[in-house]
Amino acid sequence: MKWLRAAASEVIGLFVGDWVQSGVSVAILAAAWLALPRLHVEGVAYVLAVALAVQLILATAAEARRKKA
Amino acid sequence: MGAQLLTFGAAFLGSAVESVEALTIVLAVGLTRGWRAPLLGTLSALGLLALLVAIFGQLIVTRVPELTLKLIIGTLIVLFGLRWLHKAVLRSAGVIAMHDENRAYAQTVESLRADHEKTDWIGFTLALKGVFLEGLEVVFIVIAVGGTSGGMGVAVAGGLLAMLVVAIAGVIIRRPLAQVPENTLKYAVGIILTSVGTFWAAEGMGVSWPLDFVSIVGLAALYFLASRVAIGLIRRPAFA
Repeated sequence: MKWLRAAASEVIGLFVGDWVQSGVSVAILAAAWLALPRLHVEGVAYVLAVALAVQLILATAAEARRKKA
Repeated sequence: MGAQLLTFGAAFLGSAVESVEALTIVLAVGLTRGWRAPLLGTLSALGLLALLVAIFGQLIVTRVPELTLKLIIGTLIVLFGLRWLHKAVLRSAGVIAMHDENRAYAQTVESLRADHEKTDWIGFTLALKGVFLEGLEVVFIVIAVGGTSGGMGVAVAGGLLAMLVVAIAGVIIRRPLAQVPENTLKYAVGIILTSVGTFWAAEGMGVSWPLDFVSIVGLAALYFLASRVAIGLIRRPAFA
């Protein structure tokens, strides 16, 4: 049981470093999934990329601030 | 051709980074306690990893509808890539320490010396665990980039070639590959994977990209720019 739990946490750890950041990323992807296919605009997919990029900046800055405090 | 090259490159670079880390563990165990047990552990881990690629690779390619596959794998690659990129930004900004193979090697050797009276089971387990855990990331990268682009063979070849190159380098120099710019490689692979993941996830949502596969270059530029902005922001003296 202990071994299984350790293996599961290793697998989850491949994708999740910070639960909040991963949660926000999934929320952005889910919102894009709901909204983007309805907007028939050329290049709208870049909205998803920009949102993820902004999220990266904010999440790393927040973690750096936490670590420096 | 471009897509296949990208698949090969992502699998090769991702596998090379993880193989360097696995090699450090195997070298530390082998040079401290002898080679038999760690080599057996390494071979067992490689066998398990090959089994995972065969089972999940086949299942994913044959059973999951294309759009669903792109959405799920794309999402997972985005999460995986962002995790690497997040760490690379913090390392580049000096918030967390750079990964140092020499230090990792010294720590493993020290812990093994303390346990020297125990049986060689430790050497076997350490090598097995080290290679398997580092290899899990390789398996994911290979299945993800190979499964979504339809180039599983190319991805497997990239992963295997990287492991082979690192193993040969390890046999020749018999020291951790501390000169490999591991942090830079992880930074680059983080950008590539996040870009590829975003591309596949959006395609899985039913959205098309203006220049099809070439858009990945634009995505990589965007994520690189975002990471530089983050590093610049964190490095500012007024930042706290």
